[in-house]
Amino acid sequence: MAAVAPTKQAITGLYNSMLKTSQSFSSYNFREYFLRRTKDTFKAIEAERDPAKLSTMYSQAVKDHVVLRRSAVVNQLYGGWKVAVEVEEKEAQQEVTKDRGDT
Amino acid sequence: MFSKLTRTSARRTATAISQLRCRTFVQPSGADRASVVDVPSTYQEDNLFTPRSDMLGFKLEAPTRESSVDKQTRPIYLDLQATTPVDPRVLDAMLPFFSDQYGNPHSRTHAYGWEAETAVETGRKHIADLIGADPKDIIFTSGATESNNMAIKGVARFHKEKKRHVITTQTEHKCVLDSCRKIGEEGFDVTYLPVQENGVIRLEDLEAAIRPDTSLVSIMAVNNETGVIQPLKEIGAIVHKHRGVYFHTDAAQAVGKIPLDVNEMNIDLMSISGHKIYGPKGIGACYVRRRPRVRLEPILSGGGQERGLRSGTVPTALVVGMGEAARIARKEMARDHERIQGLSDRLINKINAEVEQVVRNGDPNGYAGCVNLSFSYVEGESLLMALKEIALSSGSACTSASLEPSYVLRALGAAEDMAHSSLRFGIGRFTTEAEIDFVVDRIVKTVHRLREMSPLWEMVQEGIDIKSIDWSQH
Repeated sequence: MAAVAPTKQAITGLYNSMLKTSQSFSSYNFREYFLRRTKDTFKAIEAERDPAKLSTMYSQAVKDHVVLRRSAVVNQLYGGWKVAVEVEEKEAQQEVTKDRGDT
Repeated sequence: MFSKLTRTSARRTATAISQLRCRTFVQPSGADRASVVDVPSTYQEDNLFTPRSDMLGFKLEAPTRESSVDKQTRPIYLDLQATTPVDPRVLDAMLPFFSDQYGNPHSRTHAYGWEAETAVETGRKHIADLIGADPKDIIFTSGATESNNMAIKGVARFHKEKKRHVITTQTEHKCVLDSCRKIGEEGFDVTYLPVQENGVIRLEDLEAAIRPDTSLVSIMAVNNETGVIQPLKEIGAIVHKHRGVYFHTDAAQAVGKIPLDVNEMNIDLMSISGHKIYGPKGIGACYVRRRPRVRLEPILSGGGQERGLRSGTVPTALVVGMGEAARIARKEMARDHERIQGLSDRLINKINAEVEQVVRNGDPNGYAGCVNLSFSYVEGESLLMALKEIALSSGSACTSASLEPSYVLRALGAAEDMAHSSLRFGIGRFTTEAEIDFVVDRIVKTVHRLREMSPLWEMVQEGIDIKSIDWSQH
């Protein structure tokens, strides 16, 4: 059975969902990393033309998303102290409050 | 007389009974029956948490989860050579083994044991894949220190009848040097190879140092203080030429960061640490080649787990974590490397652009994630004290409590004042550009401020050669 390439809609949906999950990490460094990572992964998926490869990349991203969601929940439980950079950025941005993605 | 005697004995039994009645199940015995030892003189009962001299003026505030998380600011972590944070994906892989899957991987009679064993073997495979080894060659230990001890003492002691010589370098990690000192006390000859100014050993020196009775050559892959990468492939080729000499490498700082292949590099033993590759602490591995077989004397005796080389129950959750960390490291190595290189260049260029008289210690072509800079005329420890928003180290974590200059930098030929003014920047997977910019900003400000206060700096600005001054006259 030939691998069915995921639709553009499915990819966009997964991308948005993964970005939201990444954003919900409490720890600055992990949040930034996973945002970067997600963007890079989906840039690669977007550039891919071979349907078989695209399909494996997509299913890998689906698996990663499950892990990411659980990790984000654990990180929200135990992370959350602000790092010095964040405080500075926050002061510069004049109090922008962000909502967590899981609520 | 007789009645008096009975009366006293009766009284005695009465008190005994009354005592018996008071006795509860957990009646403590008196101090006279226990062996009571005085606490060490260094122990302070009440002011245990007062800042000590080795805390560099940092206040000790054990953060509690109950207090608000918003109020406290954590310093930026740039000490990735000491330890790395656990990757959230690694933690996710470990958690099932901290909850329902608690079996002993050595239990062969039930499903709990089987699932734990499968998980351990999967972890072993991931680690083996990372270094191009066979899974059966991987021995789990408690960390790279134990692996180093096991490899050095084990090989030397096993071959002690015929071979009594071990070669290592001057810039090794403390645990290698200390293991060598220990076997030196046991009657072995140990050669400590010098390094060149860039921290790399001279291959001719190694070739010349190998004797017919050499059993082991132990040379680290990536230095923990300077990031210098030793030419493992060339060293492996030299060692391979001599029959019966084994090549051990302490790759705690190298695994997962630079590509390693034990077959291509002719490595016979390799120490790996879990917490340097975004895995958990308390787990490490030792690669011990089976073909051709490397024989060594185990340090621990016991149930014969891990091919009899390291008895003791394998910690499933930690092994799973380390395995997952190794898998991720292998998958992301190229990506991480590119990013770390970029951040490292950014850091060095920005600092060089704004501060003069900064010297980078060690080979510039070393591992990019470890940048060791010496700021002339500024003491490393004072700089650290002024940089409370940044978690940095002036060298190895093991020696960070002492104010001695780093022996690694001294071995590189750095003058004492330069060794004192060094800072080690560790850059890792989770470091961001914003953090690097923040750090550069603070470093530049602090270095300028400290130099303004320094009379030495003033003299240098006036063109006086510091080295020409005879300090003893006053």
